[in-house]
Amino acid sequence: MGVAVARQLSGYRAAVLLGWAVSSNWTRPILFIAYSLLRPVSMALILAVMYTVITGNAAATRPYLAFLIIGTAFWSFIQEGVSEFANGILEDRGRYHILKYAYIAPLGFPIYLVGRATSKLASAAASVVIVLLVGAFALHLGINPLQIDYPLLVAACLLAFVSVIAFAITFSTMLLAGRDTNGYGDIIAQFLYLFSGAIFPISVLPGPIAWIASLSPLPYWLELCRRAILHARVYQMFPNMSDGEVLLRLVVATAGTVLLGYILFRFTDRRARRLGHIDMEVNW
Amino acid sequence: MKVFFHALSPTLESLSAVSGSHPSSNSSRLAVETRRLTRVYKTRRETTTALHDVDLEVEQGELFGVLGPNGAGKTTLIKILVTLLLPTSGEAFVDSLDVVRDYKRLRNRIAMVSGGEQAGYGVLKVREQLWMFSQFYGMDSKAARRRIDELLDRLGLAEAGNKEITSLSSGMRQKMNLVRGLMTDPRVLFLDEPTVALDVGAARDVRSEVQRWMAEDPTRTVILTTHYMQEADELCDRVAIVNRGRIVAEGAPRTLKASVDEDVIVDLQLDPGTPLLDRLRAIEGVGAASVREEDGVDRFSLLLADDAVLPRVMTTVEGAGRRVSGLVRRQPTLEDAFVKLVGRSMTEEEAG
Repeated sequence: MGVAVARQLSGYRAAVLLGWAVSSNWTRPILFIAYSLLRPVSMALILAVMYTVITGNAAATRPYLAFLIIGTAFWSFIQEGVSEFANGILEDRGRYHILKYAYIAPLGFPIYLVGRATSKLASAAASVVIVLLVGAFALHLGINPLQIDYPLLVAACLLAFVSVIAFAITFSTMLLAGRDTNGYGDIIAQFLYLFSGAIFPISVLPGPIAWIASLSPLPYWLELCRRAILHARVYQMFPNMSDGEVLLRLVVATAGTVLLGYILFRFTDRRARRLGHIDMEVNW
Repeated sequence: MKVFFHALSPTLESLSAVSGSHPSSNSSRLAVETRRLTRVYKTRRETTTALHDVDLEVEQGELFGVLGPNGAGKTTLIKILVTLLLPTSGEAFVDSLDVVRDYKRLRNRIAMVSGGEQAGYGVLKVREQLWMFSQFYGMDSKAARRRIDELLDRLGLAEAGNKEITSLSSGMRQKMNLVRGLMTDPRVLFLDEPTVALDVGAARDVRSEVQRWMAEDPTRTVILTTHYMQEADELCDRVAIVNRGRIVAEGAPRTLKASVDEDVIVDLQLDPGTPLLDRLRAIEGVGAASVREEDGVDRFSLLLADDAVLPRVMTTVEGAGRRVSGLVRRQPTLEDAFVKLVGRSMTEEEAG
């Protein structure tokens, strides 16, 4: 058992290194670092400017600015996670023609996919910290590292991490069915952006859509992140729920996502083998 | 010692019949076994049967060739055996494991290398990519690096090991992919057209390395698909000739060639002119005929019942106003066996 786990870990590590090599090799290291820093900072500043123009930076709306910035900061996990899983699987098939070899390797396809996307998730974590620093020092949101509820933050992020990976593996495997599915990862990430409570509370959505959004773990995760960092000084999506209640909902929604993801992955994986999607010639 | 389950005889009838039933008592020694394996591809427009009731048995330690024209079903067979594709019906076992039910366990025991593709992460160096795959197969890292260096050296890629994959030629890239397949020491190695589009030297290197790898351990098995008759003849212990999803003959290359031993085989080179193939086929005593255009001339291969048929052939050629620029009587090849079995050459089959 121990040997098997060690083998899986070494395979995972190789997939991580592969993901890093593929995602960082498009330019020189210095430009890559600059891009990785500037992208989240500019994203946060654009939102802050929009907020300022619209609200006039009135003091009463400051909790909403905090809502916006923290939601955007943590959103990069989903953006990078979903799009990288999808881009990775399609790139490996259409561009590198290597997916079939990775697929039939003993490592296990899901582990390979997670490893392949890990470097992007790590850079997303760095971008979270960068945006929060921008929020603390440039936008004066009152973020104090000593006052953050770290256990709540870590618990929420771990659960979200699990559900995002479950969703991303399933979704990216579904994309194998198409010949022209490049870019779908970014599209679905943007779609989720609107329904996750990252930039506005899900209660403003039309009734049925708000109900569907409430089944997702994402709004609860972002709510807990905001509360863990700024406690009552941030606009709350679920003001009538305690932290424990929101956490419970996140646990249930994550369990549902993982279960549904597992069932769908089994189905789509088998379907991909049945229809010959793993090494299908595609338009790349 | 290899045991062949089918009593092969040089006659066409028996060669066609050998793909029938198989005793299951020896299945533990089989590297590959398929029973009525069928694969159907369905699209909105058409339904294509790529494999039709394929029964196959490959002994452990064999270098087994699957020979046939493009579109015959060779790659589909390989894809099913390496767990990339599910069969529509029938069963397939590799190293005694069911490719559908036991696919996870099976993946520890197999590897696949396909030719004619630019597979590889261009941004990685050769050694990096090979090491990465060694880890996907659970190899010890140091042992993997040693094995990779050894194989790269054997294939003349030692210096290229530190080059980025994008800088490799097609031949070097294919050799690298062969190293990927060999380094994990699979029980069964699947090579799908491994020398396609390679120059003569690179193809020879690939074939030599496959033979050497096989010789290192008598329990290793290779399943090789190819449409190069000479390659199958040179490399394979046994060959299955596949056409339109069916195995039309199976046996040692020598045995298959013996099926056309009694025929007189003549290569006839004619200058361009009136189409002649159907008229030649219509001559009594012409068992099979095929033609390919090469260097501006038509090269006909004819299987004649005996020498007495040749004058009738020449009369027909002259009657059609065609000028003979070459005439050679030669030894049979697997291509001749294919033509006799199928009635057309592989090139004609590929053309549809």
